[in-house]
Amino acid sequence: MAKVHEITVWARGVIMDKEGRDVINIFAKAAQMDGKHAQAFDNYEDLPDRVLVTVRKYVRLSDEEIEHKYVYTNDQPEVVVIAEATIVKGIDVLLGMKKGGTLIINTNRSIDSMLKFIPNADLLSTIATVDADGITGVRTVDFSGSEGGVDESGIGKGIAAPIVGAIAKVTGMIKKEHLAKIVSDVSGMERGYKEVKIKKLG
Amino acid sequence: MAKEQMMTGCRAAAEGAKAAEVEVICSYPIRPYTAIMMELAKMVANGELNAEFVHGEGEHAQVSVVLGASASGARAFTGSSGVGVTYAMEVYSPMAGGRYPAQMSIADRTLDPPGDFGSEHTDAMSTRDQGWLLGWACSPQEVYDNTLINYRVGEDHRVMLPQMVCQDGYFISHIPDKVTLGDKSQVKEFLPPYRPIGPLSLTHPVSHGPQIRPDQGAPMDAARAKTFLAVPKVIEEATADFNRIFGRKYDPFVEQYKLADADIAFFIQGAHSNTCRTAVDSLRKKGVKAGMARLRWVRPWPTHQLANALGHVKAVGVVETSTSYGGAMRGGNLIHELRASLYDLDQRPLVTSFMAGLGGETIWPADFDHMAKVLTQAVQEKKVRNYVQWTGM
Repeated sequence: MAKVHEITVWARGVIMDKEGRDVINIFAKAAQMDGKHAQAFDNYEDLPDRVLVTVRKYVRLSDEEIEHKYVYTNDQPEVVVIAEATIVKGIDVLLGMKKGGTLIINTNRSIDSMLKFIPNADLLSTIATVDADGITGVRTVDFSGSEGGVDESGIGKGIAAPIVGAIAKVTGMIKKEHLAKIVSDVSGMERGYKEVKIKKLG
Repeated sequence: MAKEQMMTGCRAAAEGAKAAEVEVICSYPIRPYTAIMMELAKMVANGELNAEFVHGEGEHAQVSVVLGASASGARAFTGSSGVGVTYAMEVYSPMAGGRYPAQMSIADRTLDPPGDFGSEHTDAMSTRDQGWLLGWACSPQEVYDNTLINYRVGEDHRVMLPQMVCQDGYFISHIPDKVTLGDKSQVKEFLPPYRPIGPLSLTHPVSHGPQIRPDQGAPMDAARAKTFLAVPKVIEEATADFNRIFGRKYDPFVEQYKLADADIAFFIQGAHSNTCRTAVDSLRKKGVKAGMARLRWVRPWPTHQLANALGHVKAVGVVETSTSYGGAMRGGNLIHELRASLYDLDQRPLVTSFMAGLGGETIWPADFDHMAKVLTQAVQEKKVRNYVQWTGM
């Protein structure tokens, strides 16, 4: 069985539900454009219809067909993306990660100040921050997209654009030129790619 | 040819309803099927689908509304999940007895208590004796396909019955998978317009659903039972046409996977058959002659097709994803009917069952390996130790 790479995105219910889902859908689509096999789905148990609850979104990537589709959670994420920085305060966002993982946070705070909230940062080989809120200015609030519904407002219009740009730069798992064909806000994506701050850890 | 897209089972169901050009839709929200209605509402709002979209005040109302719509000659569509399915129970028999071929799209969900979003087949399985066509898809693609196939079969004048098109909640309803939608000419060739028999009409008044005398009851029940005898042939024709027009390879009733030379077989329906197939492959690599029979229709139950498909196997393990508390085999529902289907064979397989995937739990490849061990042991001992085993606990 081929190796399946797990990427987990944390966001907040309702106000950022679409944004979190945009990140995984864009990620999976970009990977598919590279010939990879990808799955993208919401955590079903996270109650996305409740405002501000933490919601998880997952991507799974593989070079071969993903045989075992029916898993509720990414148990061993290699990359964790935090779409709303305060989530790190109350939750072990790196749970299940093996040593050598990557954490990307949407924040305008410094990497070192964020590290204070990551007690198990020794699992990380890379941490990065991107000020997605600063770049796009708004979060898209779109109720219609919950539960797998179609997104009227376009994919990658809000903070998802700079976040996926940052992911491309930091992980190399997806290509910027593919992202440009998917996201609505191409310049926001480009800025995320360019402005992301990266720190390599021991 | 339309190209392949990634979509959830909910979206696929909505795309199927859109392709079938349904005329009346009645919604009421409950996870996980809700997204079907969200998609359809958007299609109607955007002018992509010309349908009357009615908000029911509950599931009982939903099914009542589509009953009325179907009776007046409209192709009608509704759906539900879990306790929503059971809340509408009263209307199922009138719908089938009145011979209204509306469709209900089910993304299944565990019944309460306590509240659980996870998939389980008990909700729709508990309606199986109400006279509807009933079956589970195992992929978003099959959800789309079954939506069209069910309308075609249900609206056939030899049938005229409502249909429950089921998919596993979350596993199929919420995880996107590859789907190729049909184009308009394919759908048009496959699915003729709905032709109601004696519809409600202002210009030609008729009565539907009158009260009858007790002595009229049994003949009506017999007529309904007899109708079901005619359904398999219609399913075979519709499946053959569908395969030809859309380029698919469905067996009408039972998907047979590596069964021809199998010693042991899993009998299963719905999403977990995908994991089961990979489990069969890995068991074969280890030298275990395993196979899988996947049920596509619970109603009508394919008695003879199952006897043909599984009669030669030494032991069958029924993977149950529904409960039948206090039932003959102490576990789920499918084993009762499978054992009955095999009973008349001179040499019949040993049959046991495994309770798995309840409450929305994933059935893991290791669970199938365990089931295979139990089945192999039964073959060696020439008997099953138990009618039922609970796996994954």
